[in-house]
Amino acid sequence: MKVGIVQFLGTNCDRDCKFACDVLGLKSEFLWYESKDLKGCDVIVLPGGFSYGDYLRAGVLAKFSPIMESIREFAKRGGYVIGICNGFQILTESGLLKGTLLKNNNLRFVHKDVYVKVEKSKAFFTNGLEESVLKLPIAHADGNYYCSKEDFEYILDNEMVVLRYCNSKGEIEKDCNPNGSLDNIAGVCNEEGNVFGLMPHPERAVGDLGNDGESIWSRLL
Amino acid sequence: MKYIIIVKPKKTILDPQGKAIKKVAERYLQKEIGDIRVGKYFEIELEKEDDELIERLASKVLSNEIIEDFEVIKR
Repeated sequence: MKVGIVQFLGTNCDRDCKFACDVLGLKSEFLWYESKDLKGCDVIVLPGGFSYGDYLRAGVLAKFSPIMESIREFAKRGGYVIGICNGFQILTESGLLKGTLLKNNNLRFVHKDVYVKVEKSKAFFTNGLEESVLKLPIAHADGNYYCSKEDFEYILDNEMVVLRYCNSKGEIEKDCNPNGSLDNIAGVCNEEGNVFGLMPHPERAVGDLGNDGESIWSRLL
Repeated sequence: MKYIIIVKPKKTILDPQGKAIKKVAERYLQKEIGDIRVGKYFEIELEKEDDELIERLASKVLSNEIIEDFEVIKR
């Protein structure tokens, strides 16, 4: 599979994602936000960072970029899209995923390793990883996942919760929640499972940096 | 024609910024005050009145309906 890594103004994890692809031997290419050309990529990555300086709301201005028009079409046709951190925020603002990401409830930029439990879900990217516990880094100020009561019931009923913050044993506890997210949610997918957004950075846990991120990337091999 | 749009967090949403500001405000004032909620303020100049356009902008760009409400004031 060829991976397309989107660069917006203010994206800063694009090269980390390229590094992850290189480590795993995945072919990858950068895609510029002002172009509509997905260059024949099979998977699109919206990397972390601060697109448009997080002005107005994190992710909202990027939503109106030309590349996002193509990505919406691509996702509708079943194309695989993964949004990491700011990429997750862009996907929720774009309506490709339910909910939104609020400021962390402690108002801090949280930067540390966390454990997440892979839930049974429809997500393509975690297929076969269900019930496993991954240690992944987070680095964000707006990672507090929130959605309406109706949407919460909907994502539970439709197996759209993909990752939850947990302890090293995989137990979902409030103390393990770094940002106040609803029900410890760290990642969700869409109904079809081809669009996935998550706050942790799997691209920063590959090769010498740890193996847990590789399990997600290696689904693309 | 000037439009003013005020975007506010919905009542059901916790506002940690507002809470932090309230704490400092009370320390400064040496007095307890009610809740503070933090929103956003936009001024938009239009040549001609167009309520529909402003409504569209406010609902689809300037606010996120999951967490925010907005108010439009015409000047």
